[in-house]
Amino acid sequence: MTRCGALVLVGLAIAGGCRRPPQPGDPLPGLTAAERARFDSGRVAFDSVFTPGTGLGPLFNADACGECHEEPVAGGAGDETERHATAFHAVPPAGARPCDELVALGGPVFQQRVTPALRAAVGIDSEPVPPQVTAIATRTSPDVFGFGLLDAVPDSAILVRADPDDRDGDGISGRPNRFFDGRIGRFGRKALVPTLREFNEGAFPTEQGVTNPAAPDEGTFGDRPFPAGTDPTPEPELSREAVDLADFFVRLLAPPAPQRLSRAARPGRELFVRVGCDGCHVPALQTGDSPVAALRYRDVAAYTDLLLHDMGPELADICFANATPSEFRTEPLMGVRLMARFLHDGRATTLEQAIEMHAGEAARSRDRFRTLTAEERAAVVAFLKTL
Amino acid sequence: MNPFVLASLAIIAAFPTAATAQQPTHNVQGAVRQVDVRGRALEVTTGVGMALRVVRLQVPADVRVTAAGAAVPLSQLAPGDIVRVSYGGRPGGYLAYTIERVGRIATGLEVAP
Repeated sequence: MTRCGALVLVGLAIAGGCRRPPQPGDPLPGLTAAERARFDSGRVAFDSVFTPGTGLGPLFNADACGECHEEPVAGGAGDETERHATAFHAVPPAGARPCDELVALGGPVFQQRVTPALRAAVGIDSEPVPPQVTAIATRTSPDVFGFGLLDAVPDSAILVRADPDDRDGDGISGRPNRFFDGRIGRFGRKALVPTLREFNEGAFPTEQGVTNPAAPDEGTFGDRPFPAGTDPTPEPELSREAVDLADFFVRLLAPPAPQRLSRAARPGRELFVRVGCDGCHVPALQTGDSPVAALRYRDVAAYTDLLLHDMGPELADICFANATPSEFRTEPLMGVRLMARFLHDGRATTLEQAIEMHAGEAARSRDRFRTLTAEERAAVVAFLKTL
Repeated sequence: MNPFVLASLAIIAAFPTAATAQQPTHNVQGAVRQVDVRGRALEVTTGVGMALRVVRLQVPADVRVTAAGAAVPLSQLAPGDIVRVSYGGRPGGYLAYTIERVGRIATGLEVAP
């Protein structure tokens, strides 16, 4: 080999070997220059702070996406929680579904803040929860890293793992949730929302009270329209272009790269499988086709099957469409090392606590975890902390 | 046929019927929340992401309700049915123009759209 050729090979090896793995807040690797520019513009839209004069409220939970998705960077988790409430009747009243999302009464998200104008008009500090509720749920703000990849997973990859009647007898009977129009859901703790685009479009009015062309209705205050003068900004309050940018930013946020396994964590990966965690926390999903090359036909270390699983009565709270109070979507574990609290409502402050709180379909795996030695349990936790 | 009659028929055909002469037509696909057969009213849950809403519709007696291509009475609709509805606004609420049952929320769409 010539000296020049050798130098080229060494250079390529260094370039390949030194590629910095995605850090929290980084875009997916492999974006075009135009996509990268749009991602950067989207970050600005994501961090935009709204005021009543620019559309905030009258009811809201936060004044910017970045208020709740901020740790350690924009798109990360937050310490804010919000209130969701529904009514569930296992034996439904005549002419009703078992789950009432209380949409006509202001639900299912009951905002916790109001603008000064609404406070002055009706004298409230948060949206009242109607007496019809059967459960009020606390929801933490998860990070949204890698959600574009989850969005690009085809429905068929979700359905192929569904086993609603547990025909394989493994005690795990995942099933998909469905949105109200019949499409398969995947986003949200109850897997209600079919696409990331819709999740983002709906988040503006739900979380910030900011309407947009896809969700142009301001909604109601309980079951009443907002009093005159409390919503001064004409609808829609946010342009399609601004929603596009924020959506693009979220879509192209890379999942944090798993860290190198330490000696302590190495056996944890094998134990994770041996106790059966991977029955629901499926280590890898594959994306399908996408107009964005960086999302197309990729493996994503999601550690979820995007299906609903019964988690037992202790964790049960609200219902959503087909999801009963005790059913939750398998939480993706990508980026779990960045979380300070665990489970849908943040009730667990350590990963070991979170595992201990698994029940229902996860009871077998939890019990196997309990039979591990202290060293083995620590290895599982150490492995999770690399994700 | 008399050209005058033909032209008249063409003009009549070009104008919509009373029901479709309402405001611009909207379309929604969502889950039936409630059916009031006596009051000829229907509530459909729909929305975008977590921003959900209920569309309340009046259903005139001459509105065609279908399932799998066949006409069905309004009373055949049940909570949890997925329906595709075209409707328009009128003073005091929305008026359904057509209603098609396309599935059940528990099981999904009968035929992929």
